[in-house]
Amino acid sequence: MEIFNALMTGFAAAITPVNLLWCLVGCALGTAVGVLPGIGPATAVAMLLPITAKVDITASMIFFSGIYYGAMYGGSTTSILLNTPGETASMVTAMEGNKMAKSGRAGAALATAAIGSFVAGTIATVVVTMFAPMVAEFAVKLGPPEYFLLMLLAFTTVSAVLGKSTLRGMTALFIGLAAGCVGLDQISGQGRYTGGVPELLDGIEIVLVAVGLFAVAEVLYAVLYEGRVVEGQNKLSRVHMSARDWKRSVPAWLRGTVIGTPFGCIPAGGTEIPTFLSYAVEKKLVKDPKDKAEFGTTGAIEGVAGPEAANNATVTAALIPLLTLGIPTSNTTAILLGAFQNYGIQPGPQLFTSSAALVWALIASLYIGNVMLLVLNLPMVGLWVKLLKIPKPQLYAGILIFATVGAYGMRQSAFDLFLLYAIGLLGVVMRRFDFPTAPVVVGMILGPLAEAQLRNAMSIGEGSAAVFFQRPMSITLVVIVLAVLILPRLFKHMSERKARLAGV
Amino acid sequence: MTTTPETNAVWPQTLVGIGVLLTGLALGFGAISISSEAGYGGVGPNFLPWLISVVLTICGLFILWEARSGGFRELDAPSGAEHAYWPGFVWVSAGLLLNAALITTLGFILSCTLCYVLAVQGLRRAAGQACGAPRVWIVDTIAGVLIAAPVFWMFTQFLAINLPGLTNSGWL
Repeated sequence: MEIFNALMTGFAAAITPVNLLWCLVGCALGTAVGVLPGIGPATAVAMLLPITAKVDITASMIFFSGIYYGAMYGGSTTSILLNTPGETASMVTAMEGNKMAKSGRAGAALATAAIGSFVAGTIATVVVTMFAPMVAEFAVKLGPPEYFLLMLLAFTTVSAVLGKSTLRGMTALFIGLAAGCVGLDQISGQGRYTGGVPELLDGIEIVLVAVGLFAVAEVLYAVLYEGRVVEGQNKLSRVHMSARDWKRSVPAWLRGTVIGTPFGCIPAGGTEIPTFLSYAVEKKLVKDPKDKAEFGTTGAIEGVAGPEAANNATVTAALIPLLTLGIPTSNTTAILLGAFQNYGIQPGPQLFTSSAALVWALIASLYIGNVMLLVLNLPMVGLWVKLLKIPKPQLYAGILIFATVGAYGMRQSAFDLFLLYAIGLLGVVMRRFDFPTAPVVVGMILGPLAEAQLRNAMSIGEGSAAVFFQRPMSITLVVIVLAVLILPRLFKHMSERKARLAGV
Repeated sequence: MTTTPETNAVWPQTLVGIGVLLTGLALGFGAISISSEAGYGGVGPNFLPWLISVVLTICGLFILWEARSGGFRELDAPSGAEHAYWPGFVWVSAGLLLNAALITTLGFILSCTLCYVLAVQGLRRAAGQACGAPRVWIVDTIAGVLIAAPVFWMFTQFLAINLPGLTNSGWL
């Protein structure tokens, strides 16, 4: 009842005309961002972060969440029609959805993706509503040792899970940690890695890194390697589903939601695993041989419905660790954390008590945003697709103007624009040589926080590391971190050994 | 799609390894000047820099070893063309760097327009489009102003973000 009352208060704040407008603009902009190739939600939110200097925190969080949700919707449109997933979350949708589109069923694929996203997003929002306050209540009991270990878990999973190579994931994470070290040490106030450059005393802005790694790197990569790539577009058919499509989609949506939600709650490296898992489950569960034959050939609707639901559920549930523990589990939530920090607010267990009005308005706006997206997307998909007619040279050059606002607007420093270019170059190298970018952002944002928690924990333990093994929760976390590090390698070794023995 | 490493990828990969290694060593060099004063905790402000330096140096050595012994493991084939198109890159880089150098002198609108025009030139060339005609330059310049000016006004007038104007009136 307490949660219900709080949610109603949130709705009262979220349905003010101004906040509704921000939500609508966010959803529309997010959908456009998702549709346009080259700009993901993380890039869009990063480029628009300067608005935090002026816009009220509730409005800007509602706006950013709208972009986040909208981009997920928009991403499925390009995946289905163009086979160009803007981000990894849409990869599975691209696999099956594009095949459906090629066989003349683009409309059904777009409909199941949009309705599935709505269903999953709404159910996951209910989960956020019910469980986030509980997690926050529990998290209040955690001390610096547990927080440090929780962040260590985030580092371990994000660098081990994202990308194929743990070595390159680790390298990316430590580059992010190094970037987070630049500036004044937050405990002793000592300057680190400033090289005598006054601009670096304040550290490197997360906006700069995000815009450089995502937006500028995208443009530089496009001009270097993708200039001649021409994308064909599938024909758009009427957006509707037959009775049989509904019958096949509904269970897949629900299964996708069940798979995606828990993955959003843990720092396990984004939406890749749940979407692929959902795809595998759908492929396994389909009974009718005719439906089974559609997988990988003409496109199976379950293969779009399940993964789309899973990725939206994951994205929504990712707000639980962000709001309750201050731990981002994706690029976009990492940048949202940066947005909170711009307001001087540190998400974490105290947020539900210190900024209850903000949190509940944000949660309420998620419900509203989901409905808005459904209304925006189903009838207007034809309009969104027209955005794809913008020529790439003009689109990418336009992105650079917004990148300039994002980078320059935060500190009014021309030095930041030079740094932006350097980070863009780093992003090109990382993309070309398959280094994941998310660990850089997560390392940079969580690095200083983890360092502070480590030093606080060590102070509590008077210099003894035993402080990390003295409480049940900290021991549990140590075991989980070790398991994440050891088990995948053990399983890999065992399967290789099995294959070798079978070969003999 | 996992590819087998190609011979011509060895040197670029080696350079990446050297880059990571040098970054690790440079961070270690920088960490020397950071105080180890730890207060009560035993962990001072130099702990994390040293840790990062050591790990990045080790990662650099491993990357170097991978590059020289068959190429990066588990590598996804990069998207796009095999060889880079450098002239286009120079145009876009010039746009970005001139924007950084001139933004406080020319103001946001003109500086970003310049960045836009140079970047479009590079991207058009990369796409194999004709781009030298005066008409193209004029159209691109107008397009650049038409994007930069509303962005400037939106962020400065409505959102009170401080971007450099050409005059003190705040409108240009």
